Amino acid sequence: MIPAVSAENLSCALDRKRILDSLSFSVFQGDFFILIGPNGSGKTTLMKVLTGILNAEGELRIQGKSVKDFRRRELARKIAFVPQQISDDFPFTVRETVIMGRSPRMGMLGIETQTDKDMADQVMEFTAVAHLADRHLNRISGGELQRVFIARALCQEPEILLLDEPTAFLDLAHQIQIMDMLETLRKEKNLTIVMVSHDINLAAMYGTRLMLMKQGKIVCTGTPEEVLTFSTLEQVYGCVVLVDKNPLGNFPRIVPVPGRFVHRKILSSD
Amino acid sequence: MYQKNQLLLPDIGLTMNMKKKFSKQIFLLPLLFLFAAESFAGFREMQDQAGRTVQVPDNPQRVVALAPSVTEIIFALEQEKRLAGVTRFSDYPPRAQQWPKVGSYIQLDLEKIVALKPDLCIAVKDGNPIEVVSRLEDFGIPVYAVNPVNLQTVMEAIRNIGNLLRADAQAQFLSAQMEKRMNQIKKLTAEIPHKPGVFFQIGINPIVAVGKDSFLHELILTAGGRNLSEGDIPYPRFSQEQVLALSPEIIIITSMARGKIFQQVKKDWEKWPDMPAVKNGRIHIVDSDVLDRPGPRMVEGLEYLFRLFHPKAAGK
Amino acid sequence: MPDIVKRIAAVSFLLLLILVAAGLLGLSLGSSQSLPTVLEYFLSGGEKDPMLANIIWRIRLPRVILAALAGSVLSLGGLVFQALLRNPLAEPYILGISGGSAIGAILGILMGLARFPGVCLCAFAGSLLTLLLVVVMGSGRAALKKDSLLLSGVMINAFCSSVITFLLSLSQDSRIHNILFWLMGDLSLPDLKQSGVLALLVFPCFVLIFCLSHIMNLLLSGREMARTMGVNTGAVMLVLLICTSLMVSATVSYCGLLGFVGLVMPHLLRMILGPDHRVLVPACILGGGAYMILCDILARTLPEQGEMPTGVITAIIGAPLFIFLLRRSKK
Repeated sequence: MIPAVSAENLSCALDRKRILDSLSFSVFQGDFFILIGPNGSGKTTLMKVLTGILNAEGELRIQGKSVKDFRRRELARKIAFVPQQISDDFPFTVRETVIMGRSPRMGMLGIETQTDKDMADQVMEFTAVAHLADRHLNRISGGELQRVFIARALCQEPEILLLDEPTAFLDLAHQIQIMDMLETLRKEKNLTIVMVSHDINLAAMYGTRLMLMKQGKIVCTGTPEEVLTFSTLEQVYGCVVLVDKNPLGNFPRIVPVPGRFVHRKILSSD
Repeated sequence: MYQKNQLLLPDIGLTMNMKKKFSKQIFLLPLLFLFAAESFAGFREMQDQAGRTVQVPDNPQRVVALAPSVTEIIFALEQEKRLAGVTRFSDYPPRAQQWPKVGSYIQLDLEKIVALKPDLCIAVKDGNPIEVVSRLEDFGIPVYAVNPVNLQTVMEAIRNIGNLLRADAQAQFLSAQMEKRMNQIKKLTAEIPHKPGVFFQIGINPIVAVGKDSFLHELILTAGGRNLSEGDIPYPRFSQEQVLALSPEIIIITSMARGKIFQQVKKDWEKWPDMPAVKNGRIHIVDSDVLDRPGPRMVEGLEYLFRLFHPKAAGK
Repeated sequence: MPDIVKRIAAVSFLLLLILVAAGLLGLSLGSSQSLPTVLEYFLSGGEKDPMLANIIWRIRLPRVILAALAGSVLSLGGLVFQALLRNPLAEPYILGISGGSAIGAILGILMGLARFPGVCLCAFAGSLLTLLLVVVMGSGRAALKKDSLLLSGVMINAFCSSVITFLLSLSQDSRIHNILFWLMGDLSLPDLKQSGVLALLVFPCFVLIFCLSHIMNLLLSGREMARTMGVNTGAVMLVLLICTSLMVSATVSYCGLLGFVGLVMPHLLRMILGPDHRVLVPACILGGGAYMILCDILARTLPEQGEMPTGVITAIIGAPLFIFLLRRSKK
C-alpha cells in the first residue's frame, strides 16, 4: 500500500539553524496522525514543510509522487491546511471564506459555479456553521472561526487534511466538538488527517498513530500506547508524568505531576 | 501703405457678419468697424528676445502681460487700452490691479488666459514656465518673450514692446529718458574714486545675495558700488560669518522683508558693531519692486542706490 | 450569471455613472467660466464659441482625465498595498513609495530629462528602491506588525523629504518653485498627449491587478494560507508590487505627491462593498478617479486667485481619516 505521505531524510534549516533533522516516516491513508512534542521540537516547521509552505531537503512523497513533481494547484487539491491562528483584519463573510477553499479548482478570478456553491453549503452544514453563513468573520466566536476554516479546508476536497493545533485556543467543549468532527471525517470520508497538538491526552484519545518529536528529531512513532509511556515522556519533556489507562478505553491517560508531589515522592522514596 | 491695405480688406465681409450679431446696437457700429478691422488685421513675423520667431498680430488689441514688469512697461507706454489681463502681483501703477488676473507669473492660470481671448501674450523668458508658453501657442495664441537681464536689455524690451504695440514713439522717448538718467549716474560715478563694498541681501533666511550673473549686480556697479557677493552663481547663499568676513561698507536689504522683519534683520547685523556698515549706520532697505522688476522704474532704483552709495555726490 | 459577476457589473456600472458625473462637473467648473455658460455651450451643441471649446476640451478635459487616472492609480495602489502587507493603513504615500518616486523624478528633472520616459523611469527606479526598503523592513524575522511598518514608512518618508530638500538646496535651478508646487501634487497643465501616455502606462496594470484580484483575497488570509491554496505567492506578489510601483511612479512623475488618496477610497469602498477584491479593484479604479476629479475641482475653484496644489486638498481630507483609522485599529 502506498502511504499517503512519506518522508525520507527530511531536513530543514532556517537561518542556518537546523530545525528538522533527517526525518523519515510514513502516514497511511485514513490515519489520524498526530505530531506531539515539546516547544521547539519542530512540529510546526514540519507541518509547513508538509503543506509546501517551506521547502526541505530530502524526499517528500504525496501518494507516492514526489512533491517536487506536483504543480502548486494540483497539490492544493490533494492537501488542505487549517492554520492555528486566523487573521480577521479584512472580514469576509463565512460563506465567502468557505468558498475560497474552492480556489484550487476554480479559474483565476474564482468565479464560482453551482457545484462550488453546493459544496460550500454541504461543508458548512457538516461543520455546523451554515447558520452563520452571512456573518462576518470578526463577528463569530473562536470555536466557530476554527470550524469555518475547517469547512474551508474541506471545501478544497482534499485527500489529506493538515491541522496546526486547531484546538489551541478553545475551551473544553469546543475542543471535543472539533476533534469529534475530525474523527467523523476520517471515518466517513476516509480522510487522512495529520495534526499538530500540544494536548497529549487529546492525541491519545483520537490519534491512530502518534509521532513524538524533540529538537527536530523523531523520538518514536507508533500507536498511542507505544509512544506515550512515562519513561519516554519524562525523557522528552523533562518533567514527571503519571501514565495510566484511560477509563474510557484502550488508550493511555497522562497526568503531569505538580512539583510539590514530585518533591514528596523524592522524600518518601528516600 | 501696407497698413492701409490691411485695413481695407476686411471691411466688406465683416460688417455683414457683425451686423447679424449686433443688429440692435447700430450705434456701436463705427466702433465695431474699428474693432473688426483691427482684429482681422494681418500678422507679421518678429524675433523675440528669447531668439524665437513669433507671428504677432500687426495691431494687437487684447494683450495679456505675463509678468508685473511687462505690465509696468505697457502702462509706461500708455498702451493699457490693449491690456486684457495681468498677473497677480501687478500692483504698479496701482490701477493695474483693476485688470483681470491670470494667476501669478510662475503659476499661470492657463484657463483664465485662454478665457480672456488674447491675441498676444507677452512673457518673460526667465520666470514664466516654458510649459505654459508652449500650451498657449498650442491654442494659437502668439507668445512674445522678452528677456530683460540687464539695463541694456530692459531698454531693448521696452522698445520691442513699443514696436509690438505700435507705440514706437513712446518707447523711444521712454528709453531715451532712461538712457539719459542712466548716463548721468554713470558720469557722476566715474568721477568718484572710492567704490564702497556693498552686500546686497535679497533673502533673509537663508541669507541670499546676488552674483555676477544677475540684474542687481549690474545696478550695483552702475550706481558706483562694488558687489561683494559677485561670483558665478546668480543668487549665492551666505552664512553670517561669511558676510562678516566680507566686512561690507553698506548692506542693502530688499523690501521682501518689510516692516518689522527688516528691523529684526537690521538688529541682527547690529550685533557686530565692528562691521563698517554697522559702524557708519549704512544698513538700508530698498523697495524690491523698483529694483527687481526689469521695467521702466528701474532707473529710479538706480538713482536711489546711487544716493545710498554716494550721498555727498548726490547732494550736489 | 454567477452572483459575483452580477455584483462586479452592478458596482462598476454605478461607479462609472458617478465617475462620468464627476467628469462632467470637472468639465463645467474652473477658474474662468461658470457652470451656466458651459451648460449653455453643451445645450447649444457647442461649436459656437471656439474659446469655450478650447477651455473645455483642451484645458479641462486633459486635466479631468489626468485627475481620474491619478485617483484610480493611487486608490488601487493603496488597495494592493493593504492586501499585500495585510495592513489596512498601508498606502503608497504613507509607506514612502511616493516619496521615493519623487526623489527619482526630481533627479530626472534636474538632469533635464523629458517627462516621458526619462523622468518616469527615474521615478520608477526610486519607487522600486523604497519598495525594497519597505518590504525588507516589513518582512524581517521580527515579523513587523502594523505600527512598526508604519513607523518604517514614516522614517522612509522623512528620509525622502530630507533628500528632496537636500537636492533642491544643492541645485540653483530656477525651476525650483515649479518643482515645489509639483511636489505638493499639481494637476495643472496636462495636455491630452500626456494624459494619454499615462493612460497607456497604467491601463495594463489595471487589467493585470484585476486578474489577480481573487488571489489578493486569498492573500488576505496570509501568505502561507494562500500557498496552501495553490497560489504561487512569490510570483504574484512580485507582479503586484512591480505593477503598483510602476503605475504609482508614473503618476508621481506627472502629478507629484497626492497623499492619502490610497487610504480614503479603499476604506470608504470596503466599508460599503465588503472586502472582496474582485469588486474592490474596479470600484477603486472608478471611484478613486471620481474622488480625485472632485478634489481637483476644489483645488481649481476654491482659491480666488490662481490655484492651490491638489495634494493639499487630498491631504486635508485624508490625514484626519488616517488618524481616525489608526485610533480605531488600536482598539
